[in-house]
Amino acid sequence: MTWFNAILQGILLGGFYALFACGLSLLFGVMGIINLAHGDFAVIAGYVAVVLVPSTHLPMVLGFLVVVPIFALGGYILQRTLFQSALNRGDPLTILLVTFGLSIITENSLLQAFSANGQSINIGSLIADSINPNNVISISDISLVVLIVAVVVLGTLQLVLSRTSIGRMIRAVADDREAAELVGINHRHVFGIAAAIALATVALAGLASGMITEFAPSTGTSNLLFAFEAVVIGGIGSLWGTLVGGIVLGVAQQIGAQINPAYQILAGHVVFLAVLAVRSRGLFAVREAA
Amino acid sequence: MPATLLELVRISKRFGGVVVAHDLSLSVEPGAAVGLVGPNGAGKTSLFSMVAGDLRPDAGTISFDGAVVNRLGPAARCRLGIGRTYQVPKPFERMTVFENALVAAQQGAGARGQDSHHRAFASLERCNLIDKVNREAGSLGLLDRKRLELARALASGPRLVLLDEVAGGLTQPEVRELVDIVRSLRAEGTAVVWIEHVVRALVGAVDRLLCLAAGVVIADGDPVRVLDDPAVREVYLGTELAIEGTV
Repeated sequence: MTWFNAILQGILLGGFYALFACGLSLLFGVMGIINLAHGDFAVIAGYVAVVLVPSTHLPMVLGFLVVVPIFALGGYILQRTLFQSALNRGDPLTILLVTFGLSIITENSLLQAFSANGQSINIGSLIADSINPNNVISISDISLVVLIVAVVVLGTLQLVLSRTSIGRMIRAVADDREAAELVGINHRHVFGIAAAIALATVALAGLASGMITEFAPSTGTSNLLFAFEAVVIGGIGSLWGTLVGGIVLGVAQQIGAQINPAYQILAGHVVFLAVLAVRSRGLFAVREAA
Repeated sequence: MPATLLELVRISKRFGGVVVAHDLSLSVEPGAAVGLVGPNGAGKTSLFSMVAGDLRPDAGTISFDGAVVNRLGPAARCRLGIGRTYQVPKPFERMTVFENALVAAQQGAGARGQDSHHRAFASLERCNLIDKVNREAGSLGLLDRKRLELARALASGPRLVLLDEVAGGLTQPEVRELVDIVRSLRAEGTAVVWIEHVVRALVGAVDRLLCLAAGVVIADGDPVRVLDDPAVREVYLGTELAIEGTV
């Protein structure tokens, strides 16, 4: 039963990783941007919530109503300015370095402003609430909510991409931006929309992280690593793959921790490497265009 | 409607030492069908790129429907009514054939809801792709890719279509099918400018032929006369000008 519980905890953790990873997957899938500041954006979301939400008198658990729109707008502006000018240079290294620089600046600015101490988003008694069907199994309410949010976000994104005209625009631009321009799509605007969605999801992930555990200026880097692993395990370009990737990573970490608490992170990395070795394009790789 | 749909005035463009357009002026009337020939490197595709907005001329103005469009990007020009096909088709590989046309109908022609679906279907039907609407575009063969390239351009609601070697690599019956589509476009008042190496396809479909060499128009007029022009024969020296057996 303890093993079953480990798997269950892994699935819950995986939902969180998937929520983290979907923005990363979207930015890479649409613009080819590997956003090294992705994890730091989540940390910023945490601080924005801690600073801004109290002044709105909303309960902290509804902080997303404040933070997500700010991040979506910020994502659009960031894409149309800094990221687009880096992409215009035509060298993939430029945008990688820009996001790397952004990550360093973010981390140090947060250190300066908030110190290295960990913070969390206070959600009151919800943090301790859990479902306990027996002595061994314990499902934390907030972790379950995060998993449900992850599934809903990924499912909605998948639906938007496949069924709506905005989704088709995003897929067309991801496929061939030159051809997309030819049918009347302004690819820069579509890039902006994709970045807005990506940052809205990373804001949710940042809030989830602040509610489940603690965050500090340096948390972004490790978050980025897990998000990367989830995307690569699932297969770049597949949103459901990202969910499965997150869950595989989460379960691997929890099983590792069950064997020996020191093995938690290592087990995740080992599974990531194993997937890379066996299926280098990930479990649900989207077929590369001929 | 202005008497001239597309007007290029003294367009120049060079890449280093290579001149692709030199003081080039030309105009295309609504509903006209114009063929564009010339040796490789004459600047034909670059001319299309400048009209479609992929390339900025170094000098000169490009007007469409009476408005100067030099500063507009390709997406804005498409929405104004300039449709283009590429020599090597560029379908959205991971989208279905229908979605390819639908996205053009919605974004290029600004159609919404049922109207956009009808428009997409109509363009696919016209290009004989109706039985492949649910196929992934990446799985299509060359002929169907060329058909889709044309269908997508048509779905975007163009008043001017730029066709870049759509007949290349096709068999004679396939070329005939394309010529029929071009003829039907003219009948509807859509102007066509068509670059083609398969000259016999052009002669059957256009009423005016331009020959471009080193970025300059060296002949312009009735297709058969242009092909007989000594200057045209000169630039094609060593190249077979297959006008026999027009379709």
